[in-house]
Amino acid sequence: MHKQMANISKPLAAATFLLWQGGALAQMQHQHGAEAACNEAALRCATKVTPAFAPDGTLWLAWMAGGRISVASSHDAGKSFAAPVAATPEPLNLDWGPDARPKIAIDRKGGIALTFSIFKDKAFNGQVLTTRSDDGGKSFAAMRPVTASNESQRFEAIGFDKDGELFVAWIDKRNRVPAQQAGRKYEGAALFFASSKDGSASWSDARMAIDNTCECCRIGLAFDPSNRPVIVFRNIFEGGVRDHAVIAFSGPAAAGEPRRVSVDDWQIAACPHHGPSLAISSNGTYHVTWFTNGRARKGLFYAHSRDGGKSFSVPLPLGDAKRGPSRPFVLAGPHGLIVAWKEFDGEKTGVNLMTSADDGQSWTRPRTIAETSDASDHPLLVTDGRRTYLSWMTKADGYRFIPIGDES
Amino acid sequence: MRPQFLAIALLLALLMPAPAQDSETQLKPFGRGSWQELMKAHAGRPTIVHFWGVTCGPCKVELPLLGAFMKDHPGIDIVTISADFVPNLPAATRAMLERSGLSLAENWMFDGFADRLRFEIDPTWQGDIPRTLLITREGKMTTIEGSAEIADLKQWSARQLAARN
Repeated sequence: MHKQMANISKPLAAATFLLWQGGALAQMQHQHGAEAACNEAALRCATKVTPAFAPDGTLWLAWMAGGRISVASSHDAGKSFAAPVAATPEPLNLDWGPDARPKIAIDRKGGIALTFSIFKDKAFNGQVLTTRSDDGGKSFAAMRPVTASNESQRFEAIGFDKDGELFVAWIDKRNRVPAQQAGRKYEGAALFFASSKDGSASWSDARMAIDNTCECCRIGLAFDPSNRPVIVFRNIFEGGVRDHAVIAFSGPAAAGEPRRVSVDDWQIAACPHHGPSLAISSNGTYHVTWFTNGRARKGLFYAHSRDGGKSFSVPLPLGDAKRGPSRPFVLAGPHGLIVAWKEFDGEKTGVNLMTSADDGQSWTRPRTIAETSDASDHPLLVTDGRRTYLSWMTKADGYRFIPIGDES
Repeated sequence: MRPQFLAIALLLALLMPAPAQDSETQLKPFGRGSWQELMKAHAGRPTIVHFWGVTCGPCKVELPLLGAFMKDHPGIDIVTISADFVPNLPAATRAMLERSGLSLAENWMFDGFADRLRFEIDPTWQGDIPRTLLITREGKMTTIEGSAEIADLKQWSARQLAARN
């Protein structure tokens, strides 16, 4: 392919690229047309919306609509938003996989780091791109890849640690081709990570945390009380078993050993498209929620670890198994733990929620706090340190930002 | 016209997406009620229903094997349903089916609220693909999660075809 390209004149190559982009965008618009309420860049047309509070209490949203990533801020906890800013000026073939979404994180100085992934070719190989705003979200720097590698990357997770260093982890397929060339079977993808001391303006060299993990699920990221990043991800264990594991990083450049969350025994050569979620409470307890369809258990589950991932509690099932509970999200909020997930009754999708005031030992009965009758994003939880909110994009009812406890 | 621009024009013409009706691969929109329609249409016939999607890595490996299987097993109805979480991309879907020798299979593509469509098929299915259903003449259904072993499909098919005689 590269040799063929070298023989094509520059105008010809440019025309080909433009045409391919055009075709990709046409396809994307068709896709968005069915999945989204509309095809513009506006929030109401979004398929994925990600919230984050800045340290000063400003709520920021990053969303994917009309082939663009846009951001907007709110100073009244989501009641009203300032005019949106397009962080990506031109429409892109954004990664529309079910577990893909833009990520946004704000540092202590108000600098905004934004990451997202695109499909860069017809084979749906991905690329993780990053950009940054240093003027309070008025403008964003040119997009740049998170790594120099040209192999497929997807499902990045980002977060600022207490010192203001930005950590990123993502799923990376760079080891696939060398393995295959050496005649070895290669399963899944590797988990890579990097960090940035300048809020994503530049990144450290990418390092591998673990090879052969599941290639099609989101990963969860949180920081422990010692300021160490911890991730949860769907691993591929011996025999093609796609169960979950956590890895704690002893620093921005050193990954610890993977520790298994649960032996669900889900042996499957498939894309579950259904990744886990992680929260760490102030005393250091890890809280994990996940989906499995394993031989040992099926459905959504919660477990905690009070020894840094060495051992986990017996998995607690979540939701009504007859209503396909999905997309679990756990947050350690100012008033305790909250877990949210979706259920579908054949007509309506509801977001269910339960809380724990004793660090995951006991839980309230689940209650439904929002419903919609058409497609919807994953339910996400976010806190400003005082209250916790549900963030949920729906096709039929628009964007919902609901304070937990006030939903009635 | 300079040869270079002529070449560009020709390339543009070649690369333009073909109108849907020119493709030999028919893609039926899979909406509400399609599953019941499909079940009714294949009642009494051994049928393999395969769910897949264009962004699914294992599907890319399995699909050509299913294409070869179909060629060798004309007595088995082969149905494919593109069932990604989001509505799929018709051109990419057709291209992958054609490359896999499945143009002449009965091909569908999710069209609408995917959660509801999956619920009609199997309320416990969260959408992982690939996924294959083996349905006997009597309507007995066996679900294979993940990539199917073609040897298993052959054994199942042999039993189905033998049962007819």
